[in-house]
Amino acid sequence: MLKGFRNILVKELKELMRDPKIFLGMIIVPLIMFPVLGSIMSFSMQTAQEQAQKASVLVLNNDGGNFSAILISNLSATVKVFVENATSPEEALSHNLLSYYNSTQFIEIPSGFSANMSEHLAGNKSVKASVMIYSVFSGSGMFEDLGSSIFDYFIEGFNRQFQPNIVYSEKSSIIKGEIKNVDPRMLSTLMLSQAIAMPITIMILLTYSMQIAATSVAMEKEEKTLETLLTLPMDRFAVLMGKLAGSIFVAGIGAVTYMIGFNFYMGSFTSSFPAGMNLDLVSLGLVPSLFGYLLLGISLFVTLLSALALAVILSAFAEDVRGAQSLVGYIYPLLFIPSFVLMYVNIESLPFVLKIALYAIPFSHPIIASRAVVMGDYWTVAFGIVYVTFFTLAIMYVASRLFATEKILTLKLKFRGLRKSKKEPVE
Amino acid sequence: MSLDVAVETVGLTKDFGSIHALKDFNLRIEKGQIFGLIGPNGAGKTTALRVVSTLLLPTSGQAKVFNLDVVRDAGEVRKIITYLPDEAGAYRNLSGKEYLEFMGRFSARNRNELDEMVRQAADICGLGERLKDKAKTYSKGMKRRLLVARALMTKPKLAILDEPASGLDVLHAYHVREIIKRYVREHEVTVLMSSHNMLEVEHICDQVTLINKGMIVAEGKPKELKERYESANLEEVFAKVVGFA
Repeated sequence: MLKGFRNILVKELKELMRDPKIFLGMIIVPLIMFPVLGSIMSFSMQTAQEQAQKASVLVLNNDGGNFSAILISNLSATVKVFVENATSPEEALSHNLLSYYNSTQFIEIPSGFSANMSEHLAGNKSVKASVMIYSVFSGSGMFEDLGSSIFDYFIEGFNRQFQPNIVYSEKSSIIKGEIKNVDPRMLSTLMLSQAIAMPITIMILLTYSMQIAATSVAMEKEEKTLETLLTLPMDRFAVLMGKLAGSIFVAGIGAVTYMIGFNFYMGSFTSSFPAGMNLDLVSLGLVPSLFGYLLLGISLFVTLLSALALAVILSAFAEDVRGAQSLVGYIYPLLFIPSFVLMYVNIESLPFVLKIALYAIPFSHPIIASRAVVMGDYWTVAFGIVYVTFFTLAIMYVASRLFATEKILTLKLKFRGLRKSKKEPVE
Repeated sequence: MSLDVAVETVGLTKDFGSIHALKDFNLRIEKGQIFGLIGPNGAGKTTALRVVSTLLLPTSGQAKVFNLDVVRDAGEVRKIITYLPDEAGAYRNLSGKEYLEFMGRFSARNRNELDEMVRQAADICGLGERLKDKAKTYSKGMKRRLLVARALMTKPKLAILDEPASGLDVLHAYHVREIIKRYVREHEVTVLMSSHNMLEVEHICDQVTLINKGMIVAEGKPKELKERYESANLEEVFAKVVGFA
């Protein structure tokens, strides 16, 4: 064995494990964060399944034959069914029948359904009956297609009653009130990659910016240039505003480059799918409008600003760069949890308390906004911008109070519970 | 308070929670003096300098700089002082010249005044062409000379220098002390400096105050103190005052 290795190792372990910041950041936080994430995920999946089972379905019966009656009867045993006769899908949408029946999907039984089934059962196997399934696309994440997949099981069960493959289903999506000939499952897969990429990108951008801001203040403290600045004939608020303005400039560039990258990312899906799949987010209307991009940019900007102001405050408690970076690390769970949860789950499907908790975290809002602008839900984005702006103003007020007093130099975060309180000599 | 008095503190105390950093601290510094605050590590020297330089608020008592209260008139005090913290650094990615210009802009009224300040500072620190290099390439001695030059270039009425020669080798420390002495002589600047190096203070200061555990234990001219305590140097004086010898 290497001479001295064991001694060095023991010293290193003592140094590292006795540092409360490392102990909390590396051991305690992950032990709490991942179980919390797991519970939320499991709960969300369960909720999505329950909601899919409880959902009501509108059936447009344009057939009127015996077999359509059997299909509706069987379907009623599985889900709550409302029936409209002699109504086309377009009419159903224009008369807002989905919202009237509080449903997010409908099945059209076309005319000739019973006749085709009879012919198939009579021996003409080339004739098959079809049903059309239409699902409203809500951009809600991983479990988006759970609703439509329930019908696959139902059709399979129905076919087993008669003959295999006697009925097949054709699926379409209703995007922003218009019928698009796209399978919801395909759409869900397509949107999933977007649902994962955006929160991760936002998470990286925020963590990186916070580290920059915290390091900037902590470096001033470590090098004692902050002390020098505070004795200069200038407004102390200018020190804070100058620091924030510098960080805002960097954050602004970050937000713009993010938007450019996001635009390329969205555009890349028009060409990355195999020929014949006919999936194009632009023609499906699933890319943000110019106004949507603007709102998303503003949302991202104010959130970055709040993160930077928070990082500045936290770094006021640190004595050096390392301390500041560790302190900023404590708010990473507030970045990671919304990012991971919103990757897979629609915030509206969460229980009230969790929903409020996520809305209360300012860093959730650009992720929520990135999905909302795609769906044209600008009010949600505007609410987020207003909330985060107020949060930022409050944080900046606290930061300005810190800079106005001696606290910026004397504040220290103490971990009294983890180590003995030690009175340090004051020079 | 006379206009010839640069700094006066009366009954000054400063507490950090249960720690009493300064206790009934009374100081009087005449205009144009180099005044030394000396004592061991943890004596309260830096706390006293920070209160006078408006960085810390006194817990009780009063501190005045040229008759301006450091709490009530903090903004005005900052116009006539400069403060050099102990072991301070410069901005690593700015060149020495850029650093001096950055600091000078807070005081200079126009471009000519700024240029004159930077020229003065370049003369004081003697860094020559190296002023064009980034501060992160400087040695500790070069950095300290740059910062001392920054503290003096604006010709403040009061320069507060915390351990101006700390950590420097003999030659660099000598250079910094000479700079301070020359500048005070030429520009009538009052200097309040701290040091735990009592021999250094003996060579540069007109008047000294010895402090220990936040309290003043002796004060006077270095020569007077040595005579009063029958000591060869201020180190011996201090040892006798606090009871080590």
